[in-house]
Amino acid sequence: MTDFVKRLLRTPQGAIGVFLVLLVLVVVLLGPMLAPYDPETLSPLARYKGPSPAYWLGTDQYGRDIFSRLLIGARATVVMAVLATIAGTLIGAFIGTTSAFLGGRADELIMRTIDAVMSIPSLLFALLVVNLLGSSTVNALIAVAIAFAPGMARITRSVALSVRKQDYVNAAVARGESSGYIILREMLPNVIAPIIVEMTIRVSFAVMLFATLSFLGLGAQPPAAEWGLMVSEARRYMHLSAGILIWPSVAIAIVAVGFNLLGDGLRDALNPRT
Amino acid sequence: MSPNYVAKRLVMIVYTLFIVSLIVFAITQVLPADAAVMMLGENATQEALAALRENMGLNAPVWQQYASWLGHVLRGDLGTSLRTGQPVGPVMLEALGRSLLLAFLSIGLMLVLAIPLGIIAAVRRGKIADMIVSLISYAGVALPEFVTATVAVLVFADLMKWLPPTGYVPLTENFTSGIAHLVLPVCVISVILIAHVSRMVRSELVDVLHTDYIRAARLKGISRGTVLRRHALRNALLPTITIVALDVGYLLGGVIVVEEIFAIPGIGRQLIVAIQARDLPAIQAGVLIMAATYSIVNFIADILYAWLDKRIQYD
Amino acid sequence: MTTTPETPVLAIDNYSLDYDTASGVFHALRNIDLAVHRGEILGLVGESGSGKTSLAWSIMRYLPKNAREPGGRILLSGENLLEKTDAQIEAFRGRRISMVFQDPSTSLNPTLSLGTQLAEVLVRHRGLTRQQAWKEGEAMLDRVGLKTPAAMMNRMPHEASGGEKQRVVIASAFACNPECIIFDEPTTALDVITSCQILDLFVELQAETGVASLYISHDLALVSRTASRVAVIRRGEIVEQGAVRDIFARPQQDYTRELIAAVPDPAHRLVGDRVFETGKPLVRIENVSVHYGRRPFLAAITGRKAERVAGNNAISLSINPGEVLGVVGESGSGKSTLAKAMTGLNRFEGRIWFDGREIRNVGDMDNAYRKDVQIIFQHPDASLNPRQKISEILSRPLKLFGDASHLDQKVGDMLEQVRLPRTHAQRYPHQLSGGEKQRVAIARAFASKPKLVICDEITSALDVSVQASVVQLLLELQKTSGASYLFITHDLNLIRQIAHRIAVMYRGNLVEIAPAADIDSPDRAEYTRRLIEAVPRPAGQYL
Repeated sequence: MTDFVKRLLRTPQGAIGVFLVLLVLVVVLLGPMLAPYDPETLSPLARYKGPSPAYWLGTDQYGRDIFSRLLIGARATVVMAVLATIAGTLIGAFIGTTSAFLGGRADELIMRTIDAVMSIPSLLFALLVVNLLGSSTVNALIAVAIAFAPGMARITRSVALSVRKQDYVNAAVARGESSGYIILREMLPNVIAPIIVEMTIRVSFAVMLFATLSFLGLGAQPPAAEWGLMVSEARRYMHLSAGILIWPSVAIAIVAVGFNLLGDGLRDALNPRT
Repeated sequence: MSPNYVAKRLVMIVYTLFIVSLIVFAITQVLPADAAVMMLGENATQEALAALRENMGLNAPVWQQYASWLGHVLRGDLGTSLRTGQPVGPVMLEALGRSLLLAFLSIGLMLVLAIPLGIIAAVRRGKIADMIVSLISYAGVALPEFVTATVAVLVFADLMKWLPPTGYVPLTENFTSGIAHLVLPVCVISVILIAHVSRMVRSELVDVLHTDYIRAARLKGISRGTVLRRHALRNALLPTITIVALDVGYLLGGVIVVEEIFAIPGIGRQLIVAIQARDLPAIQAGVLIMAATYSIVNFIADILYAWLDKRIQYD
Repeated sequence: MTTTPETPVLAIDNYSLDYDTASGVFHALRNIDLAVHRGEILGLVGESGSGKTSLAWSIMRYLPKNAREPGGRILLSGENLLEKTDAQIEAFRGRRISMVFQDPSTSLNPTLSLGTQLAEVLVRHRGLTRQQAWKEGEAMLDRVGLKTPAAMMNRMPHEASGGEKQRVVIASAFACNPECIIFDEPTTALDVITSCQILDLFVELQAETGVASLYISHDLALVSRTASRVAVIRRGEIVEQGAVRDIFARPQQDYTRELIAAVPDPAHRLVGDRVFETGKPLVRIENVSVHYGRRPFLAAITGRKAERVAGNNAISLSINPGEVLGVVGESGSGKSTLAKAMTGLNRFEGRIWFDGREIRNVGDMDNAYRKDVQIIFQHPDASLNPRQKISEILSRPLKLFGDASHLDQKVGDMLEQVRLPRTHAQRYPHQLSGGEKQRVAIARAFASKPKLVICDEITSALDVSVQASVVQLLLELQKTSGASYLFITHDLNLIRQIAHRIAVMYRGNLVEIAPAADIDSPDRAEYTRRLIEAVPRPAGQYL
């Protein structure tokens, strides 16, 4: 384990990624405790303030402290994105492995169907699902998970198929091992690494998708401190104070870049041969 | 490229659209909206509602409704909007035209910038150009369209007053103004595409430059530049066709957001309006048209690829 | 500079090469001294990692960025290549010094026609126009023995066979009448018969042009056939060099002796010639056929009949208890397909009789059959799961087929049986060398005390000296266990040493089966005779 961490930190991507993701994690866990103000308290006298010792990142159009709102909004944005990605990955991995395992015509049919589903842009898909279930955070989570599943299924299948062709799997088949053993002990450990990498990178897509849904008014609802919603609300007031717009954008960017870099770092660290 | 391959790809398009039609129909079936109520308003009498439902076939079993809807779609009738009472097909296709203009300009800009960037980054690996490409690609993954769009409007329209902030002017009406209105949306959509494609071109070209045949060509005394032009570029850029085609999915998603922000009456904005109004026929038509666009683009890309790459024997 | 007859065309003078790596400086080449004269072929022989290919890149001045050259000179007709500018080197390459590469399927650009790739050298170095170069190219393809040069010029690489492609590569190496040509394992990627023809072509062109040739190979037998002098390289240093006859007759160094001893020599049989009673074979294969692939899509919907690829066509053969049956053939002859069918990895038609039991399909292969029939694959890298420790890999067959008590003890014993330290149990495959990994794979196969072990090209990924010790191990294990072997290989010299009978396969068909001792008899089938003739004479016969 320590060996693995060392390998992860050896590359600059891995090191910066770990740092950014840890930072985000701290904010997610301790955000509400660290926040100096209540995120939803309006102070009409302190609107559009620039950064100052009192308000580190300034205040928004209702005089709410932007820093506090970001700290608290991290949960809504990041936790949802991680959960949605995990859910989407699990569904996708199940479909992908099944397809690869069944092979032949069944595999062909499943994959062509997946391709068909993927011809609907994932944002549009998420919009449809949210609209179907009603705008709320949980529904947005389900929408993003469903939108991610086909892509993950495709990736899982191609990884599983390439592992399936390896001679160590052939050796296990020739030895008469059970399907369960072959899938769990021979294939899974070799399939899981690339999927973890892909999943990590997709967390940043999920953050974007969530923010976009909120931005379009179909995710979190005001006055929640969701980052995408904050950008959306800031639009009307941005010429009065650019900070309202910029800080939540920066927060989104940090999370996205962090998970992306971490994914790149994991890709190298999880390769047993390097 | 065999006729077999073309036939197979055509059948795949039909299958794709069939699956999409099923999904779209299923989603609109579960929607808690009653088409009859939408048409006649909340104050309609029960009798009038019942009569309309009967008339619209809403009392028939679901599969019959699907079959009748599909039958109409196949005859080119995509239904009538519950919101406006207009046929949705022509409206959506007209909107698609504007979106395609936006999409083509974005792809054009992307190709003009992303391919040279990717090539320079691959050739001068580890140098400044390479780092710029890395930076752009991280910017691409870090900034969603709605952020770049909003910031772009703030900077170039509100502060600098170089360009109009939002709106759409048909090119046939006023060409200069039309173009001016398209500049910001096209740039915003291109950013993510440039980020992705330049990175892909770079990694493809780096792989090709490490192949035995490039080494063999260099060892025949062919100069770096000639080897790059004659041997490497062609092989590295071929896969880009497929990547760009797959990116059309992202592009269409991005178009939705950008059209909403810049108030461009394209298919994305029509869809958002339809979704917010729960205008079922409009949603069905819009999603179907988007999926068809995506499938056709990918079909063309695959055929183009197979035609250009004579190595591949498809069956 | 003037060139006298005594000046070698290529002289390497006290040359060293280092690579900067993350774990420090790696000395790739140390104090190399070599010379190749006009009309001479110098063979450079070494195992993988010996630095022989690094030397080729040094001569061609095509070194990676992390390469450092602490000292020495490389002289081409007296001119030091290390002092030349990039532009000068570019003008040298292909004109005064050129190279033939190992694998023609990767050294030709897949998207350019063969003609384009040949003509570009002529345009570059001889200042011809495209039309002139094309005409000249046709003449050259004719010279390298291609039957339809004009048509071949217009072909794409995937439309030509490996041998044809290598002829095109050779044509472009000779195109500008260079002073020196480096041949880097030019026949290794080719089939036996093709590689023999390519070698003949090389000898003929070399004699005709008198070009100074540096012939790099891992195969001593091959080098002894063509080269007049040979240099043996090991870990970046020249161990010994001299006339071929002297090196083989009186090797001065232990390493050279080892290498010579490791080369398989059919005259030196490693198993007894005892005759097997054929009445009760261990395995009898009756009309086993394997087909690959599905019907193409259009054929499937239009109901047209489509040809399916046959991997095996009605193969019948038998293996006796304690026998080593060799199977030889070129790539694509169906050798491995047969092995896969016998181990349940391919569907097959026909039947297999094993130890009196009838096996009709994969479903009939129960635990008892799988215990008795084990397979070892070609690449130990691929056949050992990279994420499992050796202990887990070796304990699996024990759990499946034997009793699972005292696993640690048994795994240790198995490792010792294949002459590996017991402590290797705690390692992962990537921490072992290629030879060690193959020993682990062998230990795994023998864990269940099988009656038949199928060896699918198990030595071809290994270096000669490692190969010899693995073969020795296999033969010892066979003596102690009494198992039969189905030994698949393309190495005829090796199989003639260790097999009792040899089955020859060609394009999915079984050509014939003959006792190993009679495989070179003139009564053999025509294909077998061609195969035997094509194999380079082993080093031992040089004496």
